[in-house]
Amino acid sequence: MVTTAADSHGATFDVVAAYHHLLQSDSDITMPVAAIEALILALQNNNSTTVSETLDLVSRETVKLKASIPNPISLSAGTDLFQQYLISSLTRPAATQAGILDFDQIRQHLVQNGRLFVDRAKAARTTISGLGRHFIRDGDTVLTNGGSRVVGALLKSAAESSSTSSGRGSLRFRVIYVVSPSSSNIEGRTAESESAAIIAALRERDIPVATIPPTAIAYCMDTVTQCFVGAEGVVENGGVVNRLGTYQMGLLAKAAGKPFYVVSESHKFVRLYPLGQRDLGIEQKIVDFRTADGAVDAINDEGVADLEEGAKKSTAPEDAVDYTPPHLISGIITESGVLLPSAVSEELIKIWF
Amino acid sequence: MSAPAPPSTEPAKPDEAKLSPAELKKRAKAEKQARRAAIKGDQPGGESSTSGGNGESGAQAANAIGGPPQKKPQQQKAGQQKQGRQGNQDARGAQGDRGASQQQALPLRRRGSQSGLATADSKKDNKQVELFSHLYTQPRRHTVEGTSKDVHPAVLALGFQFSSYEICGSSARCVAMLLAFKEAIQSYTTPTGTSLPRHLTSHFLSPQIEFLKSCRSISESMGNAIRYLKKIIVEIDPNMPEQEAKAYLCEEMDRFIRERITITDQAIAASACLQIKNGSTVLTYAKSSIVEKTILQAHANGTKFRVIIVDSRPLFEGKHLASSLMSAGLQVEYLPYSGIPHAIKSASLVLLGAHSMLSNGRLQSRVGTASLAMQAQKADIPVIVCCESVKFSGKVALDNIVLNEVAPPEELIPLAPATGPMTADDKAGEDDEERSKVKTLSEWRDIPNLQILNLMYDITPAEYIRMVICEYGSVPPSSVPVVHRLANEGM
Amino acid sequence: MPAAIVGQTPSLSTFLKSLKTNDVETSTELLISLLKRRQIRNSRPCAIATSQLLLRVVAGERHRDAQKLIERIRNVGCRLVAAQPREMAVGNIVRRILGVVREVAEEDQNPADMSDTSPTKSEPSKLQSALLPTLHAPTACSTPGDVTPSTDFGLDGSQSRPSLHSVNSHAPGMTSLFNILQTPQGRSPIGTPPGGAQTPNTGKKGRDGFEAKEKLDVKAEVIDGIKELIDELEIVDSQIAESALDHIHSNETILTHTSSQTVQRFLMTAARKRKFTVIHAEAYPNDHEATHATIVNGGKKGSGDNEDVDERWRPLTAMGITVILIPDSAVFALMSRINKVILAPHTVMANGSLLAAAGASTIAQTAKVHHVPVVVLSGVYKLCPVYPFDTDGLIEYGDPSKVVPFQDGEFMDKVDVVNPIYDFVDSELVDLYITNLGGHAPSFLYRIVADHYRPEDIDLRAKSDQ
Repeated sequence: MVTTAADSHGATFDVVAAYHHLLQSDSDITMPVAAIEALILALQNNNSTTVSETLDLVSRETVKLKASIPNPISLSAGTDLFQQYLISSLTRPAATQAGILDFDQIRQHLVQNGRLFVDRAKAARTTISGLGRHFIRDGDTVLTNGGSRVVGALLKSAAESSSTSSGRGSLRFRVIYVVSPSSSNIEGRTAESESAAIIAALRERDIPVATIPPTAIAYCMDTVTQCFVGAEGVVENGGVVNRLGTYQMGLLAKAAGKPFYVVSESHKFVRLYPLGQRDLGIEQKIVDFRTADGAVDAINDEGVADLEEGAKKSTAPEDAVDYTPPHLISGIITESGVLLPSAVSEELIKIWF
Repeated sequence: MSAPAPPSTEPAKPDEAKLSPAELKKRAKAEKQARRAAIKGDQPGGESSTSGGNGESGAQAANAIGGPPQKKPQQQKAGQQKQGRQGNQDARGAQGDRGASQQQALPLRRRGSQSGLATADSKKDNKQVELFSHLYTQPRRHTVEGTSKDVHPAVLALGFQFSSYEICGSSARCVAMLLAFKEAIQSYTTPTGTSLPRHLTSHFLSPQIEFLKSCRSISESMGNAIRYLKKIIVEIDPNMPEQEAKAYLCEEMDRFIRERITITDQAIAASACLQIKNGSTVLTYAKSSIVEKTILQAHANGTKFRVIIVDSRPLFEGKHLASSLMSAGLQVEYLPYSGIPHAIKSASLVLLGAHSMLSNGRLQSRVGTASLAMQAQKADIPVIVCCESVKFSGKVALDNIVLNEVAPPEELIPLAPATGPMTADDKAGEDDEERSKVKTLSEWRDIPNLQILNLMYDITPAEYIRMVICEYGSVPPSSVPVVHRLANEGM
Repeated sequence: MPAAIVGQTPSLSTFLKSLKTNDVETSTELLISLLKRRQIRNSRPCAIATSQLLLRVVAGERHRDAQKLIERIRNVGCRLVAAQPREMAVGNIVRRILGVVREVAEEDQNPADMSDTSPTKSEPSKLQSALLPTLHAPTACSTPGDVTPSTDFGLDGSQSRPSLHSVNSHAPGMTSLFNILQTPQGRSPIGTPPGGAQTPNTGKKGRDGFEAKEKLDVKAEVIDGIKELIDELEIVDSQIAESALDHIHSNETILTHTSSQTVQRFLMTAARKRKFTVIHAEAYPNDHEATHATIVNGGKKGSGDNEDVDERWRPLTAMGITVILIPDSAVFALMSRINKVILAPHTVMANGSLLAAAGASTIAQTAKVHHVPVVVLSGVYKLCPVYPFDTDGLIEYGDPSKVVPFQDGEFMDKVDVVNPIYDFVDSELVDLYITNLGGHAPSFLYRIVADHYRPEDIDLRAKSDQ
């Protein structure tokens, strides 16, 4: 599948098309992994022979990719990781210590194993769900939002552990699922259809699921024992960027003293340090002032903004994200363990230096 | 000055010399009170002739109570006080044979403790926690020795019940006090030449109150009741026959008990028990009679619920509550103070009693209440205070230091000091020689720099209290001053 | 070593004494029964007993092969942990010792590879060296679908070891983000420097010279490592106390809770230079007697160092420090006048939360609402790599007769008397941890934990199940 995508593009390889193709052809793939795959395909379709040439190619393609979508945060986690990996493998003299390890070998390794990376990313999700299961105890009520595949996998895994041998196991929990009412009837919204699929799967497994609109989160917070959310990107200070509404859920959970866990594969860690909601480096038209005459000319926070480009690049309302600061997060469940938000920074420092 | 009993002046002197600053302060306070009382008595009408008669009657009463062994300390006391009040008396040109009762009205210390104090002073000074030095007044009275002869036997008995915690709890003490006062007032006869409204409060009630204070500091409800009593005494028509007036007072006191406490309690319990829902878990701390009533009422109503009682050293009041609820057939869980986090996990409602509700919405209650309320609040469990309006106070407090009571530190010393190895693991190996060197806490007075603090109350911030149930209904803590004005000042 | 003191009831000292005469198996059984019967309890005695027993186990082992040793230690460790799962210190010590063995084994394996660059130098270089050798032979391991991580520690039999991936994740992650791209996706020992190196004062550096040797005597090395660990347990209090003057200044009011040798030592060190006031909450009903004894007679009799017994025994009051004993219930009333709260934990979790004597949570929360800093003094041996999934399950319930005497028969029958021994204190209630390595923010504790345990040792049982 991967190879066909690559073959069809031939010499005039379009990294953006490859990226979208990857995302579409495999519903389980995450954006950072798709980005890595796309870059590997780009590498494959290019006959760069020197280190600098390769790095140059990768960074060019990365820029192209980032420019192609309105919210490149998640994607950049993958591209950054890949670039950094290349740099550290190709340029560090220490590589020689391991024997004859030249550029070609690394290139070979990457190109040949593209599919393996995808599988590993998926395996990470399995690992997380196996681990996250420990967080759910008998009688718990779990609050979650959005179509995060990894949260879905975690809940499904917990549900399955409940019905192991004798139909229903000992683990009985309930799920409160936050679903945006506006989008529930729209056809192609992937996140919502994802939610619907997860809800259906959980109900199938005999787990009672309640769906509530985001406006009801505070109301039901007292019955909740813990919250799980996914992440588009885990940022440097341990905060997360995720679907709009995650921040308010975090605030409400904090106010009610309920644990708020982020479930994320570690390849979603992204080198970004937002200072606030307005500092994500993407344009979102969430607050849209209007009068009877129509939209008020955006009095932009940043002062100067290219309106035309902004309009083109701003995310669709249903794709909007917000930033949840680390003090609201009890723990980040990754495939390598439960990290405190403070550990994210260390992980990122480690790949950069 | 012409003291009637020459020997009495002599022992007074050494005593005087030995007084500590705190005691001097106490005495000054007492003098001021006496002066105030005297001024009251001074007002209209002749007093010189009446006081003698009053003194006699007082002395008789005292004799009846204490009997001969009491006499000597009394005399000594009298002399001592006389000295202190000399200037006062001179100014007023009183006769030498002034009413002994006035002098006796001062808070008297029993002799034994007095001399004991003097010698222990140097050591005792660092046994008092400095922060609370204003609360260390005098040791609680536990014996009849040295009490004023004016103190009525019923009040005397009550005082010891207070100091031994036999009667404990703000409302219970208030009711008991009023009942004792009723009895005392029955035995009161107005001296000739004055009238009951003028004489009763200052010359007869004050010694009783002072005596009770010397046994244990009085509670807010007692203060409110005393204020009320004084008010109705003043309002009595001076021409009303004595018997009638006494009957009226007793009736009023009964009415006060009934209206402000008994019926109120029922009303509060009836209202509070509606807060206990089927399947809920009620958490309470120590023991409050009104919480007990509420729980029993809810149980009688057929509500199915569970009770968790958290208790604390040294009074273990919660154990009495647990026994009482257990006998009523309730499902009770009993935890030491350290078990609060455990209790909070399963609780769905916190019911608390009060020592007093302060005007800034804070709750003064048994020490330890604040922590429980804080943790309940953090876990989003409603905290409800059940409190009669008679316990509402006009005072305000921010911290737990100013308004408090220090109980005797000895109460905290375990009854049977552990003789064998301590609870900890590797203690078993202590040799005998080692053990003989080991001191126990009971010798704490001999260990320099060691202090033991036994506070009675703490102040729970208003933000931890979701609701206050009183006879005026359920109010937020911010409405405490409103209720106080209505209930205690509007009368 | 601890003085052998004759005691009637079995305890740590009797166990240590018997250790000298009994054979390994008998000693193991004895320790298991002592742990089960709670005759050895609390972190320090458990840690000492475990390390001494494992020292004997290793010494009595015929095999000089690291893998065999690991299995043997793991086996004994599992039995000890199973005997008393709530004494986390037992498991911690077992893991530390396993780490020692692995370290020795690795040094043994790669002396040629590593001879020029000392593996103990610094973390970043460790990171790189761990990362790059894994790219050695991409073709060998890169069969697609090989998603099961294989271990690459160069230990014999590592291939046969099962994947611990799902279990090692109880701990904070120690793996690199590059995992996804690397070929042998192993749990590389990134950020996990060898066992002895992170406790600086144990004199490990001096022995580093050994690594130059071509073939090391694994057993002897491991024994040395365990002895260092035992030394660490002995000096941990004084190491922690070294920073006392950085945290206690004159005229402060310090609140502490229950009786802890570590806290006592800390306060005494400060008391030598400064005058302050200590308010001591008594931790009724489980530890109040020990607390009273500590206040009246000074630090409780430790299991070791007889030489400075006098100093240890001195009560704070004898050093001119005003000590005020209060019941736990008075903590809230006094908190507004307190400058610092010093607590001693039973166990510290990887996320910075802790288990401590019941009542500690109330105190920590009270301190939080009064904005009073909470300082926790903990030896590294109390740091546990387990993530507290189930905080309720960690709490042990004690003898209800301590709350209500059994004489009150009817009361005991009808009333459910509960006596929790431990409290779970959330990391957000703690402002500072002081360990024998220095002061740490609770948010950094995951790193200290990761430094001391090998990821493959975190779940001891996973191994023995196989």
